[in-house]
Amino acid sequence: MASKQHANWSPYDNNGGYEKPKTLSDLLPSLNPNVAFQFSCRTCVAIAGSDYCVIAADTRMSTGYSILTREYSKICKLADKSVMASSGFQADVKALQKNLAARHLIYQHQHNKQMSCPAMAQLLSNTLYYKRFFPYYAFNVLGGLDIEGKGCVFTYDAVGSYERVGYSAQGSGSTLIMPVLDNQLKSPSPLLLPAKDAVTPLSEMEAVDLVKDVFASATERDIYTGDRVEIVIVNAGGIRREYTDLRKD
Amino acid sequence: MEDVNAPHSMGTTIIGVTYDGGVVLGADSRTSTGMYVANRASDKITQLTDNVYVCRSGSAADSQVVSDYVRYFLHQHTIQLGQPATVKVASNLIRLLSYSNKNMLETGLIVGGWDKYEGGKIYSVPLGGTLLEQPFAIGGSGSSYLYGFFDQAWKEGMNKDEAEKLVVKAVSLAIARDGASGGVVRTVIINSEGVTRNFYPGDELPLWNEELEPCSSLLDILSSTGPEPMSI
Amino acid sequence: MGVLVKEAIDVPPKGGFNFDLCRRNEMLLKKGVQPPSFRKTGTTIVGLVFQDGVILGADTRATEGPIVCDKNCEKIHYMAPNIYCCGAGTAADTEAVTDMVSSQLQLHRYATGRESRVITALTLLKSHLFSYQGHVSAALVLGGVDVTGPHLHTIYPHGSTDTLPFATMGSGSLAAMAVFESKYREGLSREEGIRLVCEAICSGIFNDLGSGSNVDVCVITKGHKDYLRNHMLPNPRTYVSSKGYSFAKGQTEVLSTKIMPLREKVEVIEGDVMEE
Repeated sequence: MASKQHANWSPYDNNGGYEKPKTLSDLLPSLNPNVAFQFSCRTCVAIAGSDYCVIAADTRMSTGYSILTREYSKICKLADKSVMASSGFQADVKALQKNLAARHLIYQHQHNKQMSCPAMAQLLSNTLYYKRFFPYYAFNVLGGLDIEGKGCVFTYDAVGSYERVGYSAQGSGSTLIMPVLDNQLKSPSPLLLPAKDAVTPLSEMEAVDLVKDVFASATERDIYTGDRVEIVIVNAGGIRREYTDLRKD
Repeated sequence: MEDVNAPHSMGTTIIGVTYDGGVVLGADSRTSTGMYVANRASDKITQLTDNVYVCRSGSAADSQVVSDYVRYFLHQHTIQLGQPATVKVASNLIRLLSYSNKNMLETGLIVGGWDKYEGGKIYSVPLGGTLLEQPFAIGGSGSSYLYGFFDQAWKEGMNKDEAEKLVVKAVSLAIARDGASGGVVRTVIINSEGVTRNFYPGDELPLWNEELEPCSSLLDILSSTGPEPMSI
Repeated sequence: MGVLVKEAIDVPPKGGFNFDLCRRNEMLLKKGVQPPSFRKTGTTIVGLVFQDGVILGADTRATEGPIVCDKNCEKIHYMAPNIYCCGAGTAADTEAVTDMVSSQLQLHRYATGRESRVITALTLLKSHLFSYQGHVSAALVLGGVDVTGPHLHTIYPHGSTDTLPFATMGSGSLAAMAVFESKYREGLSREEGIRLVCEAICSGIFNDLGSGSNVDVCVITKGHKDYLRNHMLPNPRTYVSSKGYSFAKGQTEVLSTKIMPLREKVEVIEGDVMEE
């Protein structure tokens, strides 16, 4: 088994394709995936609008078939205008959040201002890549407002590959949620020239409504998603937080 | 999760003892799948005929199938013979099945019973299909804690009560030390008079060195007036 | 022995599974092909004996890995008019094995003209499961009332059986057993029994991710049964968007179109086509 994954890992394999690693065992063939899957937090979604950003995640934390807690917040405010939601191994996520908080504190001391969301996005990428060969088992979406006040969403893999997008979903429910978002919020290709805005056309209220609905739907079919969805809305007025109940089974 | 799906096996303590006039069979009542106790009140002393019983250990499925087949064969045999099957016949049938299917089966059995030709007899049929006639036999995972005890405590020519006391004491000792044995103690006494079944609840068994009093809840321990941990 | 071997070669197999492709599949597995996943009912199923019969209970979620593939499936299977059986494990196995045994029981009833007994169902189930050495992964809770009274049994995939006054099975069995161990007593009334079964199933539904959705209950008493499908619905959808969704056309590009006219094969010569 291990040797097989080694083979896949070789850069000359995979039909020469470029592929983002999906799980920790893809990155580290020797690591026991059973350990990595313990204490996982699961689904998060972020949507960027013209003057707002919605970041949402369910509050269930689970290992195997057991629920560890029904009210674990996996959304973390990193700076005034950037919020991160993470799925993955809880201990790694926590360590990553602490690391970023410390780095942000140093930044504030040095520059006497809050970090902008795109800057935070680059910092997060660097922090993840710093542990390239023993990665944080954390799959993040970072949302907030950029310097112009436009909503932005950055989506990551475990080792720091990132991209600015209009919307994103991470975690176990992402396979169910992403197609719906693709259909409803289809954003222009990032390769278009001249570049188009990646923000979605919805109003803030519509976006929140969509988030609630996709979470309720994902909960119907994904066993790891449920209990409650925590929705954080970042706009010019500041940060607002709301909750909606999900199925508890 | 994996534990629950593991094959059902009886980490067990089973005992058979002969005494003056008959035999006593004894067993605990725990059936476990890995860490999970699937049945805390199982009956591992199974009837084969009116006068022959068998103690089962190892895989629950295998031991049930073996004893079901042997019971069926013995009933046929009893009808054809017109008289009760002997313990020797019963144990030989078990041996036959155990030996010829040794690749498939994972079960050790202790046969005990009484017949008019040989009186009380204990036969043990361990894993590979050996047949051993013994004055006493112990089996299952709990038996490793009992060999020394039986070498010391078993005496020839015990009476019924002494033998049963020995069996109950031995099973409760094994329950105390063996994690895979537990629950209650069941005994079956077989002699010329017939069969007596006895049952000793787990909370009435004697306590051994360092054992805690059985209780249904952790709160019972916490609220009981034990010595303060830091008072000395 | 010689005769036996010869027969095994000459006579085509009468029934059961076909293992011809096992070697091929093993080879594919070695080459790294992922085998198909099965629909497992990560399940909570329970049963208990009450004062005048048996109550069986089950949740209604079927999963395939982390995905719920059926939100309202039936896990309490019919065996005989007086016997029902809850199934956990691979859905196909539990369904196939209970269907097979229930047909055998029906034939047995035709032959004998008597009501089926629970012990007959138990023996048929366990001998089938034992002969497949655990590869038929069906974990069952069998309950019924026959001429000898109420009976409740559990059957494990390897073919071992237990007889108990209360029983649980499946991935939620620990959560459900916790409820039974603390609240079960002898001589429960019908209402108390149903309530306890529901509580045990709900404990599985809410605490075990493999179990979910609704509660099915089956109450079997002497000469009567009540199959209470969806007795409880503790998990309604929590949020529905006030406005509907429109799915824009043209998401998939159409490369070519060809329209075949449907030719009528039957020509009606005279009279009204849909007369009567």
